[in-house]
Amino acid sequence: MHPLERLLNLVALLLNARRPLTFEEIRRVIPAYRQGDGAAAKRMFERDKETLKEIGVPIDLAPTDAWEVEQGYRIPKDRYYLPEVEFTPDEVWALFVAAHAPGHEWEGDEAAVAFQKLSTGTDTNVLAAMAERTPAPGIDASGPHLGAIADALARRRAIRFRYKPTQGKPGQRDVDPFALVFRSGNWYLVGSDRSRGEIRSFRLSRLASPVKDVGPAEPPPEGFDAAGHLQSGPWGLGRPAERARVALSPKVAWWALAGAPGATVTRAGRDGWVEADLPASETGAFAAWVMQFGPDARVLSPRSIRRQVEARLEALAGAG
Amino acid sequence: MPGKRGPKRSTGRAADRLRRLLVVVPYVLHHPGTPVAELSQTFDVSEAELLDDLNLLFLAGLPPYGPGELIDVSVEEGRVWIGMADYFSRPVRLTRSEALALYLRGKALLGAPGLEEAPALQSALDKIEGGLGEETLANLAGRVEVGASGTSARNLAAVRRAVERRERLAIEYYSAGRDELATRRIDPEHVYSAIGNWYVVAWDHRSGEERTFRADRIRSAAETGETFDPRGLSGPGRPLYTRTAKDVPVRLLLGAGARWVAEYYETESPKERPDGSLEVTLPTKDLQWVAKLILRLGGEAQVLDPPELAGMVRETARRTLEAYRSAAG
Repeated sequence: MHPLERLLNLVALLLNARRPLTFEEIRRVIPAYRQGDGAAAKRMFERDKETLKEIGVPIDLAPTDAWEVEQGYRIPKDRYYLPEVEFTPDEVWALFVAAHAPGHEWEGDEAAVAFQKLSTGTDTNVLAAMAERTPAPGIDASGPHLGAIADALARRRAIRFRYKPTQGKPGQRDVDPFALVFRSGNWYLVGSDRSRGEIRSFRLSRLASPVKDVGPAEPPPEGFDAAGHLQSGPWGLGRPAERARVALSPKVAWWALAGAPGATVTRAGRDGWVEADLPASETGAFAAWVMQFGPDARVLSPRSIRRQVEARLEALAGAG
Repeated sequence: MPGKRGPKRSTGRAADRLRRLLVVVPYVLHHPGTPVAELSQTFDVSEAELLDDLNLLFLAGLPPYGPGELIDVSVEEGRVWIGMADYFSRPVRLTRSEALALYLRGKALLGAPGLEEAPALQSALDKIEGGLGEETLANLAGRVEVGASGTSARNLAAVRRAVERRERLAIEYYSAGRDELATRRIDPEHVYSAIGNWYVVAWDHRSGEERTFRADRIRSAAETGETFDPRGLSGPGRPLYTRTAKDVPVRLLLGAGARWVAEYYETESPKERPDGSLEVTLPTKDLQWVAKLILRLGGEAQVLDPPELAGMVRETARRTLEAYRSAAG
């Protein structure tokens, strides 16, 4: 008998069993386990259980009856079947795009299987309409060890790995994972670095070893804010604390404002220059954002941010 | 179902075949009479392998494995029907790694703003997070964040359509390097997100070279009515900056607040200095945008070479300051 046939029979049997079945009972019904001696059959059965576990089929060991003399196996229906999750046609398409986006270096096959399972009940017409389209957009995202870290995060496990920081020597880190953050094409782990007793961020592409489970993880502190722990970078306008008014030239206004969530145009001049009101802060991130446009952008108010920009320009104009 | 996903994988292991059957069977039960060809595409498996699986399926069932208990499989005129398998009418739930693979790729797609599907993807991911059972992803709620960055690209949908249909576009594009807005005709072959932005890989008829364009800097995209034959340009994973012989190597000294430049852009020859600053070389075709970058870094970065760039930075800062002063009155 082909192993696939044996495995199918095993799943069907344990899924339909009214009570847990002992190995002897299973052996009596499924012919494949009757070949050879009992020990060999038991080994084959153990291997089959492992196979089922690997593909996500749960097997419970439980007393066969109320007297609890013998233990038996069954597949609990409530944990075997995919829960009912209804998706709209748009959601199915969006998941299809995600599952098949080219370029993401991680686990394309697994994502495709996930999509197949979730879309089993989708209307044929919806699936047929998808056949007409190519899921064009790709993702260039770097995340070695992403699966293992996400798994640890989901299971609330602490992890150990070697890390190569931007500054300093590589070293071992023991971390309680608090969150994963995807930013600017990179995955970051934010968590408590045990030896330093501090919350740190780790860029996954800087991991220098696989991750190892080192026991249960501590939960994040109250009010934990993952993004606040990432190192500085070209990320936008900073945490908005106030509003600023900025004048922008026609050359840059259209795309600059598209990158400034919450911006509103308050005035459009005949020369093409526009004035916009947008969220800002005095942390320096806002000044940096404005300055990238050179003479094509000017802070009008508040005075404090305007002074900040002017001071930086003065330093740069006089430098060297 | 869409194909174009390369050659069919051969997955001979019994575990892989079982995993596939536990999805194929529910699918056929929901869609009786599905053509074999369609199943082959949907499940990314050759028709021969699929038929092999189905040939074993009808030998399986429930004890005592008589005609009344075996799974009923019929393949007629290239279509598949399955019966006597009600207990397989729902697929087995997702393993955590399957769920994570789809969920994390979905999150990554949300990392560059402007994707048409973003709202639907967001709500689908929320459903996956909460709806697949305690053991799957429930613990991840609120633990996977996508940092807001990048600029929303309003012409992304138009460019995607052109990639799909191999249509030549006339775009109005703002080039930061040249600091100019110009119209070009492009043959777009790929659209993908990287470092928080959407990029378009295309053949550029203006320069007669392949180029990578930032989608958010495309001010308008008009159809030309012409189509093109793809040249097989490489897609996601390629360097965002295409090197040429005309590149100027710019040497920069980056302070703590500017170190991100070394990883965000394509830089080379890093050298740590004892004071914690970092020297890197940034190859560029045009010094103009590097000058703007230095302005943006506001004192956190210093130009080591070439001297003309340092002059450009001073000059741009001076011109910007003048604009402030003349407007102040």
